[in-house]
Amino acid sequence: MKAKPAELILSLAVFILGIGVAVGASQLSAAGGYARVGPNVAPAVIAGGLILLGGWLAYEALSGGWRNAVPDDPVERGEHAFHVAGFVWVSVGLIAQIFLIHTAGFVLAQATLLTCVARGFGSRKVARDFAIGVILALAVFLFFVKFLNVNLPAGWLRPVLGGAGI
Amino acid sequence: MPDAFSSLLHGFNIALTPLNLLWGFIGVTLGTFIGVLPGVGPALTVAMLMPLTIRLEPTGALIMFAGIYYGAMYGGSTTTILLNTPGESASIATALEGNLMAKKGRAGPALATSAIGSFVAGTIATVLVTLLAPVVVELALKFGPAEYFALMIFAFTTVAAVIGSSTVRGLTSLFLGLLLGVVGIDSQTGRSRFAFGVPELLDGIDVVVLAVGLFAVGEALYVAAYASRLEEKMEQLKGSLWMSKEDWRRSWPAWLRATAIGFPFGSIPAGGAEIPTFLSYATEKKLTKHPEEFGKGAIEGVAGPEAANNASVTGALVPLLTLGIPTSATAAVLLSAFQNYGIQPGPLLFQAQPDLVWGLLASLYIGNVLLLILNLPLVGIWVKVLAIPRPLLYGGILVFATLGAYSLHQSVVDLIILYVFGVLGFVMRRWDIPVAPAVIGLILGPLAETQARRALAISQGNSAVFITQPISATILAISFLLLVVPLILRLVRRS
Repeated sequence: MKAKPAELILSLAVFILGIGVAVGASQLSAAGGYARVGPNVAPAVIAGGLILLGGWLAYEALSGGWRNAVPDDPVERGEHAFHVAGFVWVSVGLIAQIFLIHTAGFVLAQATLLTCVARGFGSRKVARDFAIGVILALAVFLFFVKFLNVNLPAGWLRPVLGGAGI
Repeated sequence: MPDAFSSLLHGFNIALTPLNLLWGFIGVTLGTFIGVLPGVGPALTVAMLMPLTIRLEPTGALIMFAGIYYGAMYGGSTTTILLNTPGESASIATALEGNLMAKKGRAGPALATSAIGSFVAGTIATVLVTLLAPVVVELALKFGPAEYFALMIFAFTTVAAVIGSSTVRGLTSLFLGLLLGVVGIDSQTGRSRFAFGVPELLDGIDVVVLAVGLFAVGEALYVAAYASRLEEKMEQLKGSLWMSKEDWRRSWPAWLRATAIGFPFGSIPAGGAEIPTFLSYATEKKLTKHPEEFGKGAIEGVAGPEAANNASVTGALVPLLTLGIPTSATAAVLLSAFQNYGIQPGPLLFQAQPDLVWGLLASLYIGNVLLLILNLPLVGIWVKVLAIPRPLLYGGILVFATLGAYSLHQSVVDLIILYVFGVLGFVMRRWDIPVAPAVIGLILGPLAETQARRALAISQGNSAVFITQPISATILAISFLLLVVPLILRLVRRS
């Protein structure tokens, strides 16, 4: 039986995570007061669990692959091969939004996010997607700020938004 | 039980005030609208709509959530039937026959039997919840920390190890959730754990961020990578919406049988609507007078699983409300909504805040009626939602998903964690690791730890406390057997 490399790597990641948690747990205080159970006990139990599970997963990966898992071939799953641009554009959108929300503000950050995600799903109409994003995000912004009294960052659009938001 | 009925009447008084009725109505409508979106299940719907209730008082907010919860399930079945993309595992059984009915031009009756069946099952199950909850509360009041801890271990075992395709992957998901649960300030000693000096982590990781990350961001990354270039075929809604006499005659026994199957699965902390939906499907296939139609679009095959799903999801409110134990990802998100209001569900809640509990239970009846009145006539609108081009649809979903995570604390750190969870969700989806156990582990882990330490404090550190008390010993023994027996059987069968 053949070993499956991706599954083996994930199994080892779980195992190593367990070791890391064990090291972290050993540095936590063991003082637990009346319960005699300090804050270190639960992490230690979790570390033990992860180490065992990582080992078990690795065993399965080495002996023919994880049991009852979905097929590795995307076509067998009814899907297409890994589309790099799709994954990357969605990621770019989410990361751009993280950087933009406190600078450019909520509306522009969300519009950028929507445009990038749409691109990841194959859309080529950048201007249309961005316009839809601005309209959607603006509606949400005004609803939250004016109606729900929940503040969202106005950012670069502050002059246009008339002082609404933060 | 003299007061279950009068308490419920009082609950209707609260739920039927115009304002609360309005929240219920908004909840049902929004829940359906978001639930219709392909790939969006009830857990994600509740998590994404959480920010809308930030400024509401608790009763109104929870009534709105009850509406969202039911609406999301109804919306999900519409998508399942017309698109054959089950938003959650509990809808797979519906997809089997429902989509085939739609292909034969019988989408209308399929949607109708699923809506009316959900109403029938949901209402019967709500009656059972009303009757059962006070009984469980009486029992739960006698439980000490050791019993609670044992019940939580039982819930962990069933959710992670029994349900799903692989025990080891279910447990791995659970332990990842438990690990995320210990991040932050330890509630017993005030010490920080695994916060790495990041102040935003001291409060712990929010269940909403994990649920939205795994379900929305992970799903978007996965679909973009593996399914965004596929042709999708949506069945048209043509012909009569209404069920014929024959359809009715074949549907109602299936609804009732499915309710009887679904409710017990939901109400014991054994989680998951997946098993009862498949059991109901198998039952209907066996009992039907039209076996030739199964696999070609048999109405019983839609009526049964849909009703079973609704009955089991409603039944899950019993452990959630009376014990504070969520048994599905959706219930976990609901529990976190409760916690945001400083409410810890459990037997004491029935005494401390009867208005809230009974108002919520009454609103479940109302939500069911609203859904039935609103959604069959409005199904044309929901179908239009499905026609939104995929690129804009997923862009829109992520706009709301990131808003849901951001508005919790207005924090960029939450957005960074959200993306990390999204990549984790992608990996879990691709390699068939279930995500629900992680969500349940995150919210239930800290509660289990607290109960264990309380039990040990009472016993002055004697860890035998969990096995010397009969109730807790029994529950732990059952959990252990559930975990170990299948493994032993598999080993025996192999040798």
